[in-house]
Amino acid sequence: MALREPAESHPSASPRGWTRNLRRVAVFTLARLAALFVTVLIGVYLAIVTANMGGKVDELREVQIRSGVAEAVRGDPGFQDLPAEQRNALIEQRVQIQRERLRLDQPFIVRSFGYLYQAMRLNLGRAEHMHSDRGSRQVSAIILERLPATLGLFGTASLILFFSSVAAALVLSRRYGSRLDRMVVGLAPTSAAPGWFYGMFLILVFAFLIPAFPSGGMVEAPPPEGFAYVRSLLHHMVLPLAAMFLSGIFISIYSWRTFFLIHSSEDYVEMARAKGLSSRMIERRYVLRPTLPPIVTSFALMLIGMWGGSILLEQVFNWPGLGTLMFRAIGQRDTPVIIASVVIFAYLLAATMFILDILYALLDPRVKLTGGRR
Amino acid sequence: MTDSPSSTPLLQVQDLVLHYRTRRGPVRAVDGVSFDLRRGEAMVVLGESGCGKTSLSRALLRLLPRNLGAFSGRVMLDGQDTMPLSEEKFRREVRWVKVSMVMQAAMNALNPVVRVGDQVAEPLQVHRRWSRAKALERAAEAFQWVGISTDFLARYPFELSGGMRQRAVLAMALVTEPDLVILDEPTSALDVLTQANIMNVLKRIKRDRGTSFILITHDVGTSSEIADRVALMYAGQIVELADAARFFPEPAHPYARMLMDSVPRLKVVKQPDFIPGHPPNLLRLPEGCRFADRCPHRFARCADHPPLFDLGERRESRCWLHHDGGPS
Repeated sequence: MALREPAESHPSASPRGWTRNLRRVAVFTLARLAALFVTVLIGVYLAIVTANMGGKVDELREVQIRSGVAEAVRGDPGFQDLPAEQRNALIEQRVQIQRERLRLDQPFIVRSFGYLYQAMRLNLGRAEHMHSDRGSRQVSAIILERLPATLGLFGTASLILFFSSVAAALVLSRRYGSRLDRMVVGLAPTSAAPGWFYGMFLILVFAFLIPAFPSGGMVEAPPPEGFAYVRSLLHHMVLPLAAMFLSGIFISIYSWRTFFLIHSSEDYVEMARAKGLSSRMIERRYVLRPTLPPIVTSFALMLIGMWGGSILLEQVFNWPGLGTLMFRAIGQRDTPVIIASVVIFAYLLAATMFILDILYALLDPRVKLTGGRR
Repeated sequence: MTDSPSSTPLLQVQDLVLHYRTRRGPVRAVDGVSFDLRRGEAMVVLGESGCGKTSLSRALLRLLPRNLGAFSGRVMLDGQDTMPLSEEKFRREVRWVKVSMVMQAAMNALNPVVRVGDQVAEPLQVHRRWSRAKALERAAEAFQWVGISTDFLARYPFELSGGMRQRAVLAMALVTEPDLVILDEPTSALDVLTQANIMNVLKRIKRDRGTSFILITHDVGTSSEIADRVALMYAGQIVELADAARFFPEPAHPYARMLMDSVPRLKVVKQPDFIPGHPPNLLRLPEGCRFADRCPHRFARCADHPPLFDLGERRESRCWLHHDGGPS
């Protein structure tokens, strides 16, 4: 073969390409961080305003303080002899001290930003009524106790859901139009019902009619030690995981199968076929790989939906996580705990989004911010 | 084979059929196509949109659709029939080894998330089991053949202009140095300058390396520059097959003549003529000659389907007007 001279510049393209890629991802990451921070900030501030009912809660607290102080003063034998005026003045004085201690003398709008600052620094303060299992009134202690339960359950659920649905979707896209395919498409609307809905049925069937699994909780009481603890935990996780799986699986398979189908009719897939690549290679490099960015996006949306549904799901399974905590805090009007739960949720969401954003930027070379170098 | 290897055509296609299955019946996109192509020849397949040109190119590389109705005939490469080959064998021995292809809409023929260089080098890694580094080196050479800077090897497709992408796809088709390259409308989406550029690249490759080409196009002007042979398709069939040197000045089939008259020319002051009517629906083809409805020379015989008549000197025409020579 009479080829030309070999290329004068060796195509050592990869190292340069890599630095370019790194820079792109770094710029992208910083910008996303900034955007997410602002989002969290706004979300948490709204939560603070809402949980305080725009300052209305403070009036209630003032009334509470006043009645508490008045009772204490009236009930104190040392003040029995005081004339009514003096006693009222004393009450006023003590109420004032309490108000100053709680900074209720400042207008709510000023304090709300103080709260925001504290909340964003995860300086979550003390609960009004609730306490942790160990007896602490520190909100951070209460939340830290609950966080692993929620993260463990929902992390496991989303990973299982993600990998199983992507794998199933790939299989299904290969068998487009088959009976199995039509069955999954037909079942997709079942995902309209949320996880807790399936949870109730699963509890009914697998905890009461056929008592194979516990109806709720995270471990047996009293909690066993060591390996038995893990086994008990897994045993308790089966039903909630199944509930989430059931409610998410069909729609995920359906939508990802559709992604794959759309992408397998792309010209470059046909080209890969013409090039004589094996079908396994085509699937991996030409269907799955270019489809990953939209899949990651929809996975992010799914995760967020799951976090949102956790309040009810945990309630149904009596799962001692953040969702249950928040539910109870709302019931007891424990404002610091409500706010703290929202803050933690906001940070969790932001962290999820952030990780997925970075993944997206790594997966899709076209992702770059405006103003980036071409 | 009784023929000696030198006289065996590179490609012999006999009675190739590719039908699509639809709810309203079969679409007869390729309906009994036969032709020979010698080594080093460039054949232009001309025809209007929807006449089966692209389906023909797909059939040659066995890129069959999901709704395949019928697929039969013989496709012989170097005298070896490829039709009995298993899918796996065909993939390993024919695709990109003997025959490669530049597809229509080559703009989207590159995977958006894989570097261009890797995509061009990929066939070498797959078919010759070359290392990535070695394959990339050859890809760089292929880039030079088609006139793209090797700097672009590390770029992603979206960073290349349309013309560059087209040339990268061409480089991909040439990188394994196949005997035959099928080009399906390789220039139709490009501006005139880039078109000319790519045609020049093709001419150079053909001259320097003796690669055979099948160029599928509806652009009579650009195709005449490179063609040795012309196959004119109409409604899923070849209606005229001839040497380019004879076809372009003096087309034989009435459709060929009308088609050539519809091409505007610079040197002759003449209004281009248009062919009245539409090509027939591939779902409901007429019993007789498929062009009869639009033909000014129609006569009684046209109610029967005409075979290809041999006019001598490797020229054939599917028209009863050429019946004197008898059926081929």
